[in-house]
Amino acid sequence: MANNIDLSIDFCGITFINPFLLSSSPVSNSAEMVARAFEAGWSGVVFKTLNSDRLPIIHPSPRMHCVHYGSKKEMAVQNVEQISDRPLKDNLIDILYLKKHYPDHRIIASIMGFFEDEWVYLAKVAEDNGADMLELNFSCPHMCIEGSGHKVGQAFHLLERFTEAVKKNVSIPVMAKMTPNITDMTEPALYAKKGGADAISAINTVRGISEIGLDDFVPRPNVFGKGAISGTSGPAVKPIGLNFIASMAKCLELGLPLSGIGGIETWIDALEYILVGSSTIQVTTGIMHYGYGIVEDMIEGLGDYMARKGVTSVSQLVGKALPHLHETDHFDLERQGVTQYDVDRCIGCGQCYIVCRDAAGQAITWDGENRRPVLDENKCLSCMLCQFVCPVTDLITYKAMPRGWRRNETPVMDPSLEKEIQYEPFTKEGPNECTV
Amino acid sequence: MSTPADFEPMEKGFDLAQAIAEADRCLLCHDAPCSAGCPAETDPGRFIRKLRFKNITGAVRTIKHNNILGAACGVLCPTARLCEEKCSAIFKSQECPEGADRPIAIGKIQRFLVEYAWHQGIQVLEKGAPRPQKVAVVGSGPAGLSCAAELAKEGFGVTVFEARPEPGGVLRYGVVSYRCSQDFLNRELDDVRALGVEFKCNHPVNGQRDAEKLLAEGYSAVFLAPGLWQAASLKKQRPAIKGLWSSVDFLAALRDGRFAEMRDAVAGRTVAVIGGGSVAMDCIGAAARLDAADVYLVYRRSYAQMPAEPDERIEAQEAGVHFLLLNQPVDYVTDGGRISGLKLVRTRLGEADASGRRRPEAVEGSEWVLPADLVIEAIGNQAPDDSPAWYPRVKVNDRRLIEVDPDTGRTSVEGIFAGGDIVRGPALVVQAVQDGKVAARAIKDYLTQ
Ligand SMILES: Cc1cc2nc3c(=O)[nH]c(=O)nc-3n(C[C@H](O)[C@H](O)[C@H](O)COP(=O)(O)OP(=O)(O)OC[C@H]3O[C@@H](n4cnc5c(N)ncnc54)[C@H](O)[C@@H]3O)c2cc1C
Ligand SMILES: Cc1cc2nc3c(=O)[nH]c(=O)nc-3n(C[C@H](O)[C@H](O)[C@H](O)COP(=O)(O)O)c2cc1C
Ligand code: SF4
Repeated sequence: MANNIDLSIDFCGITFINPFLLSSSPVSNSAEMVARAFEAGWSGVVFKTLNSDRLPIIHPSPRMHCVHYGSKKEMAVQNVEQISDRPLKDNLIDILYLKKHYPDHRIIASIMGFFEDEWVYLAKVAEDNGADMLELNFSCPHMCIEGSGHKVGQAFHLLERFTEAVKKNVSIPVMAKMTPNITDMTEPALYAKKGGADAISAINTVRGISEIGLDDFVPRPNVFGKGAISGTSGPAVKPIGLNFIASMAKCLELGLPLSGIGGIETWIDALEYILVGSSTIQVTTGIMHYGYGIVEDMIEGLGDYMARKGVTSVSQLVGKALPHLHETDHFDLERQGVTQYDVDRCIGCGQCYIVCRDAAGQAITWDGENRRPVLDENKCLSCMLCQFVCPVTDLITYKAMPRGWRRNETPVMDPSLEKEIQYEPFTKEGPNECTV
Repeated sequence: MSTPADFEPMEKGFDLAQAIAEADRCLLCHDAPCSAGCPAETDPGRFIRKLRFKNITGAVRTIKHNNILGAACGVLCPTARLCEEKCSAIFKSQECPEGADRPIAIGKIQRFLVEYAWHQGIQVLEKGAPRPQKVAVVGSGPAGLSCAAELAKEGFGVTVFEARPEPGGVLRYGVVSYRCSQDFLNRELDDVRALGVEFKCNHPVNGQRDAEKLLAEGYSAVFLAPGLWQAASLKKQRPAIKGLWSSVDFLAALRDGRFAEMRDAVAGRTVAVIGGGSVAMDCIGAAARLDAADVYLVYRRSYAQMPAEPDERIEAQEAGVHFLLLNQPVDYVTDGGRISGLKLVRTRLGEADASGRRRPEAVEGSEWVLPADLVIEAIGNQAPDDSPAWYPRVKVNDRRLIEVDPDTGRTSVEGIFAGGDIVRGPALVVQAVQDGKVAARAIKDYLTQ
């Protein structure tokens, strides 16, 4: 009993029945798995990255490790998994199967090669066996073979060349998958565009270290005594993924459709990616944690949101947050605010007092007798730290102050030391941008 | 001193943060034993997962589609022996002693979600495309409401005939208001009304053959759900003694405008309630709250044999009710036409009876009198003596309960279906809800074949 709202969206001229895809990873490893995912509601798959069988692919063991946060499991996952270790033929048979049995679903083949001919070969066999689209994997951060994966994603001319070669040899749309292990993603994305890419997907995993053994000193996962810097995914990387998608969406010169990836579990995560410019979104870790079933809540949740907002097509939501996304120098600093406390509902835990005292404006004094915070508005920094820790919903809220209102400055400890200070104010004129 | 016009308000439910925190503890079991444990297929495994994945509207949709009385059930269901019984969180605590865990508070999450939808104006139910047939429902208790809602979702015209002034059945005139308040019930009834269900209150269907006649009066099918409203008594016929009440009379009076009258009658008096089930628990709880001087619960078996739920029993004792166990009432003691006490005989437990419980046997020569100003009998509700006459062709058993096919709710008469307490005997709200759904599906099949 879902809500039956149309979530279909056009992506590179191809219609997807909803924006929710499996990303290329263990969750998209075989037709048996992907078929179950389609039954559960996913509209398409980026199949686990194909390899040409030229070099053997063997996954390190164990291949993953996990970051917990308190009692919360899998805030992030760390992996050293390689591209597909299945024979190319098997993968192609599986793609054929999916194409045949799921004509309404979309199959995107992810590929990775080392030199032009290999990229072209993989692109062509994928197209010939039914792939609706290609994703070029320029982004795996931990390939055991030197010179592949994100190394290509960091060498922009190679990325352009491989994209161009593939584009020349296939007629289906081509998407380039970007590594987040760089500063500015618009730059390689523009190279991909020059090479002819029709779309950009991001992010692949973020290079990181999840945990280090305190007895054996081996970073995890511990692959028989050795650790490595490798790929981090899951909820912890969502802010990073949103940053890269939003930056590319803002880049007018790029102007390509985007597929957002990184830490998506709920319809809200997915919608946020859409609002900053993604037309489709992809998921791995969310499925590694909860299984394919979470798509039911994505479909229903997004549909209900659209009904509530009177939005009739997902495309109307794509990039809707971008006009509100500015550089920080555009903020109106004349407008300030403070927190306000509904003290009648306070339970007296004092967490607000602690964080305000030790990390903020010392705006709260503690009424020890009644066990209640007392706020001095004029000292409040509006950092909202107290709200973050308060266990009572909406007890602490933000209040905008009239234009021109100023908080008190933080007093110095001992004003008498002013006579001893060695200091001249800085008076030189200069540009407001960094120059050499 | 101003005296309140009703009991204290219902216990507060979860807020959003509490519900999310509770859902966070859920292990999201693959085979959701909670869902298997719900008699009405409300599917807690699914709605908790939906809450967890921030799909709140979807969670409400799951509840309300499966169980039109989702809020009432969230409050009234004995969850400890239904959905929460096999919650894996309990087993987790057995495996990890350091992480002792309680079952997920499923009833509370369920209630929260429905109440949240009310406050936020979230609508999840829709009338079905109109169909030509009309269906009559007799009785507006949980079974009748559930059947009516399910049929309305399918587009049938539904008229509910209710003998009493307001709809709700036991939820309105039985359960005490501090467990299920007027406002709370009315809000849940609004969800039924919004589907276009028509209520005809003060409209008993209790004349000779009246229920069967509905089929000739433009209704294509009839669902019988009049519940059980004749209270059993120590004597074959409850004698007219002042101060001797049935649980039905007492509890209904608290909710039909006579609260103040009841308070005046009970305050400062000694009250003896006979029985050991949930109805008796409501009676003693109400009497204690009405400031009775002393409240006695008189039960002929042992504490462990009481059918009332464990939490109800503990709550009653905390409220200061005296449990007189292994005491069998044998007669009323009167003084000038007024009750003045109960004649009791001590019992001991003998052999097991047909129900598997050890039978209480009177201890010879142990008779004694418990002085009491009021005696309330809560020893079971029955179908009224004349109820078979309302539907003479419908087959009933020796307890006047209607016989049905459990998979469809069909009675022996074509076009007449039945469910709820009138079929099961005293049962649960959630079971009545399921009966209403099952019958509605069968009625749809019957009318669309
Ligand atoms: C005091 C009390 C407390 C309870 N507490 C709980 C609890 O905490 N949890 C739980 O799960 N269950 C509880 N139960 C049991 C539960 O309330 C019943 O199982 C449930 O209400 C049965 O629903 P029903 O629709 O079959 O009948 P009812 O709720 O009895 O509704 C029947 C309706 O039909 C009407 N009616 C009767 N005859 C006619 C007629 N001839 N024409 C028209 N209308 C008629 C009645 O007025 C009534 O409104 C309690 C029961 C009682 C009595
Ligand atoms: C175990 C594992 C294996 C992966 N393998 C591939 C791969 O073969 N090709 C690829 O393009 N991305 C691969 N990825 C990256 C994911 O497709 C995805 O970009 C990344 O995990 C971020 O999304 P998430 O937070 O939803 O997991 C892999 C990720 C994981 C965790
Ligand atoms: S999840 Fe399955 S495949 Fe992965 S380590 Fe555990 S048992 Fe092996």
